Amino acid sequence: MIDLTDVSYAYPDTDRFVLSHINLNVPAGTVAGIVGASGSGKTTLAKIISGFVPHVDGGQLEGTVVVDGATVADVTLAEAVSHVGLVIQSPFNQISGAKFTVREELAFGLENLGVAREEMAERVAEVAELLGITSLLERSPYALSGGQQQLVAIASMIIMRTPVLVMDEPTSQLDPGGTRMVFDVMSSLRDTGITLVIFEHKLEHLREHADVIHVLADHQLIASGPARSMLADPRLEEWGIGSTRFTTAARAARDRGLLAKNVELPVSLQDAVPLFEEFDAKRGA
Amino acid sequence: MSSTTTTPAATNKTRNRILVAAGTVIIVATYLYLVVGQPTEIAQSSFSQSGLIAIAGYVIGAILLAMGAIHRLPTATVAMVPVAIALNIVVGQLVSVIGLPLYLDSIGTVLVSALAGPAAGVVTGILTNVIWGLTLSPIALPYAVVQVIIGVMAGYAARLGMFRLFYLAPVAGAVTGFVAAMVSAPISAFVFGGATGGGTGAIVGAFQAMGNSLLASTTLQGLLSDPLDKAITFTVVVLILAALPSRFRQRFPFVREHNVFGRKTQVVQHQTSTTEA
Amino acid sequence: MATTLFDVRKSAIHRLNPVTKLIALLAIIVTVFAIPLWWVAGLIVVLVVAPAAVISGSGGRLLSLSLKILIPIILVLFIVQGLTFPGGKTVIWEWGIIDITTEGLMFALGIGSRIIVLVLASILLVLTTHPGDLMSALTERGMSPKFAYIISSTLQLIPAFRERADSILLAQQARGLSLKGSPVRRVKVMLPLLSPLVLGMFTDVEERSTAMEARAFGSTAKRTSLIPVPDTLVQRIARWLFVVLALAAVATPIALGLL
Repeated sequence: MIDLTDVSYAYPDTDRFVLSHINLNVPAGTVAGIVGASGSGKTTLAKIISGFVPHVDGGQLEGTVVVDGATVADVTLAEAVSHVGLVIQSPFNQISGAKFTVREELAFGLENLGVAREEMAERVAEVAELLGITSLLERSPYALSGGQQQLVAIASMIIMRTPVLVMDEPTSQLDPGGTRMVFDVMSSLRDTGITLVIFEHKLEHLREHADVIHVLADHQLIASGPARSMLADPRLEEWGIGSTRFTTAARAARDRGLLAKNVELPVSLQDAVPLFEEFDAKRGA
Repeated sequence: MSSTTTTPAATNKTRNRILVAAGTVIIVATYLYLVVGQPTEIAQSSFSQSGLIAIAGYVIGAILLAMGAIHRLPTATVAMVPVAIALNIVVGQLVSVIGLPLYLDSIGTVLVSALAGPAAGVVTGILTNVIWGLTLSPIALPYAVVQVIIGVMAGYAARLGMFRLFYLAPVAGAVTGFVAAMVSAPISAFVFGGATGGGTGAIVGAFQAMGNSLLASTTLQGLLSDPLDKAITFTVVVLILAALPSRFRQRFPFVREHNVFGRKTQVVQHQTSTTEA
Repeated sequence: MATTLFDVRKSAIHRLNPVTKLIALLAIIVTVFAIPLWWVAGLIVVLVVAPAAVISGSGGRLLSLSLKILIPIILVLFIVQGLTFPGGKTVIWEWGIIDITTEGLMFALGIGSRIIVLVLASILLVLTTHPGDLMSALTERGMSPKFAYIISSTLQLIPAFRERADSILLAQQARGLSLKGSPVRRVKVMLPLLSPLVLGMFTDVEERSTAMEARAFGSTAKRTSLIPVPDTLVQRIARWLFVVLALAAVATPIALGLL
């Protein structure tokens, strides 16, 4: 569904490449998680996949970007955004501001495309149901919590029915409650069959929802792998991404000989539960 | 999904040019008729349609200009205009609360014009007064044309490079203020009878007592305050622009095309073009 | 929420199509400015604006908002023109060098009656019309959706902006910066106040425009609207009637040789 071949990019007026020789493949219907330290080029990569680079930002883009069968550089931005949706970091900025209720806010994109009224109403109801925000429909988008706002922002993209959705750190400006609200809807999103690319710092949540993890460091995609093994990889520390508290604790336990040398390190609480049980059994014996 | 239909850009362009031209002609004609075309005694009797002509000519002209201008604005500029209008209104109110003897209600308009050109300034200008009318007081509405002219003048000042040097901006501001005073005088005279506020009203009264006509008095009153106010506004804008990150400023095609901020840009562009080649 | 003066009610006036109200407002303004007789303005207030205000249920707010705007203007108008009107000849009251002329007062009455109608009718429209509905109705009639976007979005941005301004103002005052002293000093205090406010808002713009593009704001398709704008045949006829009345008002004084 997403194919990046040897992609390099420099912003206008610079000759420093913020991304170089990126190869990325995301199969249809899967969830790709992309991790990287701040400044590693995550937002730039998100904009490349969604067509804003080079259509809005300009600059020098090399290599080919194919999303949903369309070569992004060859189509207009208006067409590119019909293939791929984008959720940005700040829910406050994602909200159009042009609408006074959540219901109308959700329909904003469809109005721009000239979709018929009856169809809009149906799609609004459907997407609100999917994300569990039906009770917010008559509220002002500005009178919501950060988490609720981000759900509205995600819903306002889902309603466009693009086959691909890119989320650029959708929870970085949210409190733990808001973060949970956003990740709670991930499985519902997945069930729609959409292809998801999530740029995220919160490794535990990625473990739960991503199929494959790609690591961005030194302006390159330097590693990829299945979520659990990739997120527990010790090199993540060197790349400035870190590990979850479960990985760190288990690694320390393993190094002290408390766990087997070949133990598969946990990333999330769920991964860790069997290890705890094993521990408990050993102590009992 | 992509139900976008492309209308022939050429006809749109012609239509927009006609709208801009018609708007400009109507505004100029209105001003000339009110100031030169009619005898003073008729103009200042309330038994005349000068007020109607002032409002109708200026409002219709401003609307036509804005209609022609808005289609040229890319989404990035459209997204910036609300911030600029909010800046106009919030600072305008803040200044009056603090009690400065100024308006400073067009900082946003001038800022947008410098970054995105006269068309963006026109839209920011007219909508500032529409929003002012919707939120505070309809008295602002007949003056929409003044903000429009500030937007146009600031845009052309930016093209001419007046924002490159710190000391050129206030000069451009003073000139803009002079034109703004001339254009707003007929509205103050024929629509409001010189009474737009306590302080300004007293000054108009003083000029009338010295033997000036109503229009001459509102013009003189405007000339006392507008050039200074706009000189300060332009200076504030130059300071804000200097504080904005260069990457942000250079995103605007208008800034790059007309080299609004001077030689530095040229050098950078030159460097990239050589590295590309 | 929005900062407009909109008064949430469900009266017959509130329910009218926004375009009907807008055209009525324009017709009223054209009429009072075209017919140079103060009592025509008075009749319009008594026969049109006041009944509409009563029906809308927003009459009280209309009165308090309008008086706040009108009292200083009307007062200054009568004092200044009464005393210094250039065409003033007939003195009706004098004290020392101060004299009030009939011509000045009549001029003030002519201008003042128009300003009163302008302010009352405009504020009544704003009080009874949700800005979102007005924008949908105008977009439906061919106004560029960019205008609608800018107006609605500014209305929601201003409270957020003001909040930031207030918090910065408080922070500066907490640091001991006083806003007293000479104007030059106050400007000096204002400048550091402005920069963080403006920079923050402008750097948000980039993200916001990206989010809008992602939702097809750049599309050239003919816009549709989720919420229908109510309209009736009676209103459609009424709108044409308002246009005819306004044109008649412009023509009458010329035909009667009043000018």
